[in-house]
Amino acid sequence: MKGYFDISAKRLKYMGDKMEKILGYIKKEFSSPVLLICFCLMISVFLSISTESFYSLKNVVNILEANSYRMILAVGMMCIITSGAIDLSVGSILSFSAICTAISLKAELPIALCILLGLLSGTVMGVINGVLVYATRINPLIITLATSYMYRGLSLMVTEGIPVTKLPESFREIGCGDIFGMESGVTAAFVIIIAMIPVFFFMKWGSYIASLGGNPEALKRCGVKTWKYRISVFALMGFLASVSGIIVSARLNSAEANAGLNMEMDAICAVIMGGTALHGGKGSLFGTVIAVFLMGLIRNGLTIMSVSSYYQQFITGAMLLCAVVIAELRERRARIG
Amino acid sequence: MKKFLACLLSAAMVLGAVGCSASSETAETEAQTETTEAAAAESEEETTAAETEAAQTEANPEETAGEISDTVKQLYADFDKSMEEQIGPMPENFGEIKVGAVVISLTNPFWVTMKDCYIAAGEELGVPIDVQTGTTEGDTASQLDVLMTMADMDYDVIIVSPIDGTNLIPGIIKCNENGVKVINLGPGVDTEALAEAGGYLDATITVDFAEQGETVANDMMERLPEGGQVAVLAGLAGAGQSEGRTRGFTETIEANDSYELVAVQNCDWDATLAYDATKALITEYPDLKGIFCCNDVMALAAVEALSAEGVDGVLIYGVDFTDDAKAAIQEGKMTGSMSYSSARYTKAALQMAVMLNEGETFDSNVYLPLTLVNVDNVNSLEGWK
Repeated sequence: MKGYFDISAKRLKYMGDKMEKILGYIKKEFSSPVLLICFCLMISVFLSISTESFYSLKNVVNILEANSYRMILAVGMMCIITSGAIDLSVGSILSFSAICTAISLKAELPIALCILLGLLSGTVMGVINGVLVYATRINPLIITLATSYMYRGLSLMVTEGIPVTKLPESFREIGCGDIFGMESGVTAAFVIIIAMIPVFFFMKWGSYIASLGGNPEALKRCGVKTWKYRISVFALMGFLASVSGIIVSARLNSAEANAGLNMEMDAICAVIMGGTALHGGKGSLFGTVIAVFLMGLIRNGLTIMSVSSYYQQFITGAMLLCAVVIAELRERRARIG
Repeated sequence: MKKFLACLLSAAMVLGAVGCSASSETAETEAQTETTEAAAAESEEETTAAETEAAQTEANPEETAGEISDTVKQLYADFDKSMEEQIGPMPENFGEIKVGAVVISLTNPFWVTMKDCYIAAGEELGVPIDVQTGTTEGDTASQLDVLMTMADMDYDVIIVSPIDGTNLIPGIIKCNENGVKVINLGPGVDTEALAEAGGYLDATITVDFAEQGETVANDMMERLPEGGQVAVLAGLAGAGQSEGRTRGFTETIEANDSYELVAVQNCDWDATLAYDATKALITEYPDLKGIFCCNDVMALAAVEALSAEGVDGVLIYGVDFTDDAKAAIQEGKMTGSMSYSSARYTKAALQMAVMLNEGETFDSNVYLPLTLVNVDNVNSLEGWK
């Protein structure tokens, strides 16, 4: 007992170093999202003043619910981009894993098994991406573009283009039932984000992923088996895409081959806006989370203000451009002085 | 460094704020100018019409936009009679009401027209209405997001036209819970799935899609008395309008032995897909006599494909009677298009919204009377909208 409280100077210094390291992480992590937070606040204030329905708990819940699956996708995409790769097959994986789940539900298998099958199919597709990227050394952009068509084609072949609808109530209860007064997707997104914090910041995996993007040669010279990390990051993306797929199909009560169209682009947009470098090596988890929220805020604000959806894409693009240009300027300044 | 950042940040903020507010304002003012212009044009025409034809006809202030032919007057009269039978008269006095509408896509000319008609009908009846949509056509999730947001706003009635049978169900349930009345217009909500999930619709106004297919099939058979091969270009698989139209057409055609249905091809309402499908069809079946396309976008693509192949004499029918289709029918490139008055359609839906808000109920679906516009009657339909 006594020994436990006997804190030596060395130990104190160690703890101090650790604290400093954590503070450093926080500082680094939040320097880029500051801009986004300002954007969010600005838009929120503007909407609260100009509309009646924006400033309410219900509406915040709406925004969270509508963006939970986008959040999950973006977190996975953030890991992929940090590792110096990109994954364009996310939307197709989402659709295919949702269809796998829906079809096994229709075959009246136990619900847990159906969900497991869906998650498994997504993970397997992710692993295939990873293996192909690692084995062929071809640019992941091309590999995942090819697999995205293949996976989408599989979805179409399996369903013959007809959506699988009328999923069992108990499945929908899991996919979008109430937890803490919100759809369960929101809780899932929070759990995933919180689980990613230690993995990404404090575990070997996170730093290896970043080095894989920053300097893969150095990582290899250190004797690290890079294939493990290359494949695992794609597997994680596939897994998260299938989680999103289950949430989406439960919400819409249908799994269709067209689901998740262009969602990879939304995810990439949020990740880059959040301050992750496209060439890899530097990821920002919180920046990504806030960027997804910001995009959701814009979508919600335009609906509430009854502005035509024509404007939405323009505004999102302009914001992305702003964010990227500012990040680039800042990086150049930092490099010079 | 920090100062520079701060400058940039504030500049971006100001830009954003100006951008946001400006866009909405311009949209509003644009809409206002448009309506004033339209009103001015209307009144001008009214006076000239009144001057020239004062002795013969009594001017109907409602229908003075453009010249109205007798055929159209008759169609409008039939429509109003049918609606009066199904819905009842418009209440003269009604309480304050705010109506929202969720349509499928503003990248499809049909829904753009519907939006304009909603707004025009809202002004005519004195009912404020907002029309919203998801980001892109076929984006089922974002259409639901829009409805979910609207369910928590201060709308009394929301008129929904879902992309597929099930995607809006959680939003409709939320409306039910919040006491917002829901009208389903056009493409049907899967009522079985909705009931299973614990929700309900307060009213439905729609088109009998099978009847559209039937009418086209009958007209086609009249024009092809000797029989022949025919094909269907359907829309998105699983979409109610597409399935209904296809079913109505194929059942009518197959009941007659001298016609052979050679293909039913899903082209997802897409012009490019329809173009390629038509080329493939005409190569495979050079004797093809007629194509029924489940909307005009695909029908016009089919027209293009046939003229590119240098093929004449194939009867092409569409649905929706868009402006482009009208021109094509007038030129004889297309044979016909199924139509109904979007202006009357939206007006009837708004009237139902008002009546629901006043406590009336609608137990059975309201169906719109349909018209086939073809090469014979297209020129007598000036002013039909």
